[in-house]
Amino acid sequence: MSDGDALLRAEGLCKRFGGVVAAQSIDFALRRGELRCVIGPNGAGKSTFFSLLCGIQRPDAGRIVFDGRDITRLKPFQRVRLGIGLTFQTNRAFHAMTVAENLETARRGGAAGDDVHFQTALASFGLAAQLERPASALPHHELQWLEICMALRRGPLLLLLDEPTAGMSPAETARTAEVLTALAADGLAIAVVEHDIAFVRQVAQTVTVLHQGAVFAEGSFAEVTARDDVRRIYLGHVHEAAA
Amino acid sequence: MSVAAASRAAPRGSGLARLLNGPHDIGRTPGAWAVLAAGLASFLVYPHWATAFQATNVAYYLLNIPMALGLSLLWGYGGVLSFGQVAFFAVAGYVYGIVAGNLPDAPWGTWLGVVSGLGASAALAAVFGYFIFYARVAAWIVPILTLVLALLLSTFLGLTAGSMWTVGQVPLGGYNGMTGIPALQVGTLTFQDYAFYYLTVGVVVLCYIGLRAWVNAHRGQVLMAIREDTLRTELLGYDVRREQLRAFVLAATLAGVSGLLYVQWGNYITPSVTGLQQAALPVVWVAVGGRDSLLAVAICTFLLNQLSYVLSSAGNQYALVIIGALLVAVMMFAPEGIVVTLARRTWRRRR
Repeated sequence: MSDGDALLRAEGLCKRFGGVVAAQSIDFALRRGELRCVIGPNGAGKSTFFSLLCGIQRPDAGRIVFDGRDITRLKPFQRVRLGIGLTFQTNRAFHAMTVAENLETARRGGAAGDDVHFQTALASFGLAAQLERPASALPHHELQWLEICMALRRGPLLLLLDEPTAGMSPAETARTAEVLTALAADGLAIAVVEHDIAFVRQVAQTVTVLHQGAVFAEGSFAEVTARDDVRRIYLGHVHEAAA
Repeated sequence: MSVAAASRAAPRGSGLARLLNGPHDIGRTPGAWAVLAAGLASFLVYPHWATAFQATNVAYYLLNIPMALGLSLLWGYGGVLSFGQVAFFAVAGYVYGIVAGNLPDAPWGTWLGVVSGLGASAALAAVFGYFIFYARVAAWIVPILTLVLALLLSTFLGLTAGSMWTVGQVPLGGYNGMTGIPALQVGTLTFQDYAFYYLTVGVVVLCYIGLRAWVNAHRGQVLMAIREDTLRTELLGYDVRREQLRAFVLAATLAGVSGLLYVQWGNYITPSVTGLQQAALPVVWVAVGGRDSLLAVAICTFLLNQLSYVLSSAGNQYALVIIGALLVAVMMFAPEGIVVTLARRTWRRRR
């Protein structure tokens, strides 16, 4: 990985909460058009890493460079305006508004970029026909899709997704994976924090494994999942949980 | 195709009628609009049968509506509860009194008073609100801070007795307040009696129409988005602090509008208008009517002001107790507000 041309680069990110070290020196780089999955056992620091990237938390040390600019000290809304779109683990579309109003609120959050990815996602997820429905009337998976469309509305360079397929059926998960793969092929950089191994296998070009607040392994899905130490810390947990 | 559809479907800045009929207030059916038009018409013809005294009383029941609508915007739509709207009401009234009272002979003196009064309310809200919202003060502390602002102002104004508290030729008057405040004038027309009545009706209608368009326009939707999920809104690229400050200043200016109407009504103002009892009343009007409906708030503010006035002028010392009991009953049996609940039952559709 290397990376003069990285779109997003995190260097030595550290974050402590009291005595708990949630991130210790995370190094991470993402190219334009790359689709990356970030996995790791519970407590590995995935959520902390995600909130450091989007600015909900400030790192104690380290820096984050996005599109050639140091964004370490920027507030979340300023990062979004520079071209980062994101969704949360839980459904957080505005339920009191219609689908169209949700998208309009997303569109006017700042200066708009190229919306070609948004158009692709809106059409692929089948939401274009449901603009007048209240968001509260959408089923769970369509709300997740609506949020991805909202994150894409203003044409971000980077899409950060926190467990986008949580609670989806296998078919819905597969469709999400398909659409995200197509968006990445079109040049969008996407980083996904995810638990669902089937999803990760389907989408990932490169997988980053976090463990105890640091990058533990990085490589292709096959490489990473073949490593014994990765299986021990992470995949072992998955099998136990599934059993 | 989809982008065009998305743009068409979402409310845009175009077309007042479309904004007025947007989804974020009760009363959007043709029947509801007819009732509203009939209501307005009856206010317009009412002075034909009423004495000047009666018309002035009705104007008094109406004059708090702008302040209540501002609180509805801030609290009902924006999720920020202020207990201190009366502070901005009082600032506008006092500043108007000082400016207009010092320019008794200038033809534009009272209008300069209006501009300064509203400007002072907005400026106080901008400074106070800046510290609240840019410091990201927790939502539950805001009502306490705003209440403290109102009580401090009331206490301070109460201490302004004596000649050292005379601004130009206008004494602030301590607990007795400021008296002899001149009424608005245009040429030879002084806004008293019927003219004051029509002025009040006109201002209330303008405030209502303007705010109803506002809540259905983009800025209003952002405010509702912040109420629903502050972090989500920020992560769509909105500077939440700035949006909340904007709503706070707008609500304070509307409270100032009510303060200006109030000093036209009685030509006096005292520190008690920003005291504890008065500070609680706007919250009661808004909560009892239905805080996230401007129309409900307007109707309820009118009716409760009339009720208070009738009760207290009948010598009933329990007026406040009755209003308070009403608030408790509404919170228990119709927490969305009386007017909103009744309107839903009548029209069977709101959103």
